[in-house]
Amino acid sequence: MADLLSATLPVVSDPVTVGGVTLELVPPTSIVSLGAFAGAGRDELVGRVRAEFGVDLPDVSRAVRSSYGNVAFLWNGPTQWLVVGEDSGELFSRLQKCCGDVCALTSQGDSRTILRLSGMGAREVATRLLPIDLHGQVFSTDCVASTLAGHIPVIVWQTAQTPAYDFLVFRSFASSLFHDLSVALNGHTFSETDHYA
Amino acid sequence: MRLTCPFCGSRGLEEFTYRGDATVRRPSADASQEAWVDYVYLRDNPCGPHRELWYHGAGCRSWLVVTRDTRTHQILDVRNARDVMLAERMSPEGKGEGS
Ligand SMILES: [Zn+2]
Repeated sequence: MADLLSATLPVVSDPVTVGGVTLELVPPTSIVSLGAFAGAGRDELVGRVRAEFGVDLPDVSRAVRSSYGNVAFLWNGPTQWLVVGEDSGELFSRLQKCCGDVCALTSQGDSRTILRLSGMGAREVATRLLPIDLHGQVFSTDCVASTLAGHIPVIVWQTAQTPAYDFLVFRSFASSLFHDLSVALNGHTFSETDHYA
Repeated sequence: MRLTCPFCGSRGLEEFTYRGDATVRRPSADASQEAWVDYVYLRDNPCGPHRELWYHGAGCRSWLVVTRDTRTHQILDVRNARDVMLAERMSPEGKGEGS
């Protein structure tokens, strides 16, 4: 029998707090991508999700949250969405029943990791890495953007007014992004908090 | 240089990849060898507005048709390539396969 790989966290650093802004690894989350099939797939998918989760899939770069379970739908490109929910197999099987025949469903839970930056001043820290405008007038709660944090591709989701930002990042880049964000958190200096693996 | 993606808004050049001339069209399978050589190898090098394909790889991963002035880098228009293709198929001149 094959040896199973032991489960290790993508980031081993403890949460870092500097000046009221906290950077932390979000506990494992279920992430599933939806890609509507060509033709009538998109409209059919929107209808199915509305029936099962009570929300309309966004057609602009935003997230909508379903009150039927702790689930959010993030726009991730034309006819593509990411579903983010609690860590269990339940979300995937629920989606499979709901819309598995009208879209490509792919589990991204092992692909994406979420880092959270929160607290007063989080915007200033995020702005040091992100090339997009995060001003509250143009980027507010539940706004989503696919962009680059330095050289690392990320999906940024503002999850709270405070503000708080969730960075959905490829697992293999999570440690580097944690490092880059902790440097941004400390101004431009290296410090003791810089003990990423 | 910045491009205004129809889906993501104004973004820096580092998020995009240049693909090439957006005006070439695939000839029909029985077209002459000259037409195929032209399609595969020959490109105009215009001085002024030109339509180009760009890929928003670090954003929404859409293909875009960008009209750029090659003298000034002024961006005159950005459209979703899929919409451009569908509009072309609907138009009276719309022809060619796989374009
Ligand atoms: Zn885009």
